[in-house]
Amino acid sequence: MQFLLFLVPRYLLGLARRTQVAVVSAISFVSLALGAMALVLTLALLEGFQSTVRRELKGTGPHALLLPAQGKRLPAGPWLDQLTQAHPQLRFCKVERGVAWMSTLGEATPVEVEVVAGLFGVEVDRVRAAMGGVGVGSEVDLLTPVPLLSPLGPTPRQVRVRVERVVEGASKSSPGSLRVPTAVGELLLGGSGREEVQVAVPPPLDPLVVTERLGPLPAGVVLRSFRELNRPLLAALALEKLLIGLGVALIVVVASLNLLCNLTMLAAEKRADAAILQAMGLPPRGIAQLFRTLGLAIGAGAGLAGCAFGWGLAALLHRTQALPLPRGVFALNHVPFAVLPEHLALVMGVTMVAAWAATSSPARAAARRSVLEGLRRE
Amino acid sequence: MSEPLVVAKDLWKGYGAGPRRVEVLRGFSLTVQEGEMVAVVGPSGVGKTTLLYLLGLLDHPDAGEITLFGQNVGGLGQEERARLRNRFLGFVFQHHLLLGDFNLEENVAMPLLLAGEAKSTALVRARELLAEVGLLHRARHFPDELSGGEQQRGAVARALVARPRLLLADEPTGNLDAENARGLFQLLATLHLRDGLTSVIVTHNEALARNCHRVVRLLPESKV
Repeated sequence: MQFLLFLVPRYLLGLARRTQVAVVSAISFVSLALGAMALVLTLALLEGFQSTVRRELKGTGPHALLLPAQGKRLPAGPWLDQLTQAHPQLRFCKVERGVAWMSTLGEATPVEVEVVAGLFGVEVDRVRAAMGGVGVGSEVDLLTPVPLLSPLGPTPRQVRVRVERVVEGASKSSPGSLRVPTAVGELLLGGSGREEVQVAVPPPLDPLVVTERLGPLPAGVVLRSFRELNRPLLAALALEKLLIGLGVALIVVVASLNLLCNLTMLAAEKRADAAILQAMGLPPRGIAQLFRTLGLAIGAGAGLAGCAFGWGLAALLHRTQALPLPRGVFALNHVPFAVLPEHLALVMGVTMVAAWAATSSPARAAARRSVLEGLRRE
Repeated sequence: MSEPLVVAKDLWKGYGAGPRRVEVLRGFSLTVQEGEMVAVVGPSGVGKTTLLYLLGLLDHPDAGEITLFGQNVGGLGQEERARLRNRFLGFVFQHHLLLGDFNLEENVAMPLLLAGEAKSTALVRARELLAEVGLLHRARHFPDELSGGEQQRGAVARALVARPRLLLADEPTGNLDAENARGLFQLLATLHLRDGLTSVIVTHNEALARNCHRVVRLLPESKV
C-alpha cells in the first residue's frame, strides 16, 4: 500500500504533462465534481424546505395525543396528574372532542369542536373564521345532533357564542376546528364527546424524541406520538428526498462512466509502466490496485471538490436570499438551503462507490494484460 | 561443484496457432553456474528475448522446465513468481524502460520501494548505485532529460539496486553507439566481478559477447 501511495500521486501529477489523457481526466474530474455538487445542492434545497415544514409542524401543537384505548372516555384516576409531575417540562391539556354545525350569515357548516378546560372564551381557527366570515366579537350559533330531551321530545342542542379569539392553527389534529370552554362544551356535547389529552412540547425540546418516550401510561390509554400523528407527511417528505436524491445521483453515475473511459485510456497508456512494474515484482493484483487507487483518487478529489462547491453555493444562496419566493404563497420569502454533514458524507459515499465501480473493470483488465505485450510495446 | 543457479531443460515455446504458429524455442536447454556471465547471441527472431522472459518468470514455456536457485518454478503462482522477481532477479530491457513520471533516483529505488523498504533508505541505496554508474549528478533528472546511454546506465543501476542473484539483460547496448556500448559493458563486467553476480546477457554484439565467460548461440530451428 505504501508503494501505491508513492506511485499514485506521481501518476496523477504526471497527467498534466500528457495532453490527451489529461483532457479526459479533467472531464472525468469535472463531471464527477458537478454531479456531486448537484447532489449536494439538491439535498440542501430539499432539506431547506423540509426543515421549514418540520419546524412549522413542531411549532404548532399538539405534539402528541393520549387517547382512550376503547370507547370515548379516558380512564378515571390521578394518572394525568402523575404524568404531569413526571414530565414537568411538557404541557398536558385534557379536551373533549365532538362535531357541531356552525351557523353564520345564514349558512351552516360542520365543524369539529374541542372542549378545553380552562379556556375563557371561544376560539376559532383562522381558516374556519375566514370560511365562515367571522371575526373577534362575531356571534355564531352552534348546533349538535346530541339530543336534548324537552317537553317537545328530543331536540338538537343549540348554543349561541361570541368569538373571543381567532387563532393560527388552533388544532393541528383537526384543522379548522373550534375551541370552546368547558361550560359551552357541556351544553353542546353533554359529555358525549371523545376525550383526549393533548401534549405540547415547548422548545427547545424535540417533539420527535420526547413524545416517543412518554410514559408510563395507565391501562386503557394509548399514545399517538408526534411521529404517528404526522406519519403521512413525514413519510412523504422522506420519500420525496429519497426519490429526488436518487434521480440526481444518476448524474454521478453517468459521470462515473467518464471515469471508466479515463481509466481505460490511462491503463492503455501505462501499459509499458505496468509491465515494468510487474517485471520488478509487482504482482497482477498490485497492478489492479494501482489503477483502482488512481480511479478512487480522482473520484475522491472530485467528490470533495463537488461537496465543497455545493456547500459553498448553497450557503451563499441561503445567506444572500438570492432566490425569492412569491409572498403569500409560501411561508418563506426565499428558497432555503440547509447542508447537513450527513448529506455531505452521503454524497462522498455515492461518489466513491460510483468511482469504485467505474474503476473495477479497467483495473482488472490492466492486471490481466500480458507483461510481454507491455514490454514489447515500448 | 555447487548447484547451478539456472537450469533450463528442454524448453519449447511458440507463438500463434494453426498454420501461422511459429516455434521459437525447440527443446532448448541451458545451465548457468553461480557467478557466470553468459552471453546469448543469435540472429533476430531465434528466441533470445523469449528465453530471457522465460528465465525471468515473465512467461511460461509450452514445455520443459526451469529451475532457478534450486527451485523448480513451473508450478509457482503469480504472487510467488512476482516475489522471486523482486527478490532475486534484475532486468535490463532493450529499450531503457525507465518510468517517465519518476526521476532517475526514484526509478532506481523502485524495486526496493516495491519490496517495502522505507523511501529514505531506498533513495540512499539508489544514490549509491547511481554514483557507481556515474550518474549521481543526474539523480533528480527525469528520463526524458537523459541521453540514451544515461538511461541505459540508469536501467542497470535499477536492475542491481536490490542486489539480485541473477541479472537478465536484453540487448543492453542495442541502442547505444559503440563507445557507450563498450562503457556499459565494462560497467556490467566490473559490477559483476565485484558483486559475484550471475548474468545472462542477450546481445547482437559479438565483440562484447566474447568478453563474457561463455557464449551461447541460438540458431534458427536449432536445439542448443
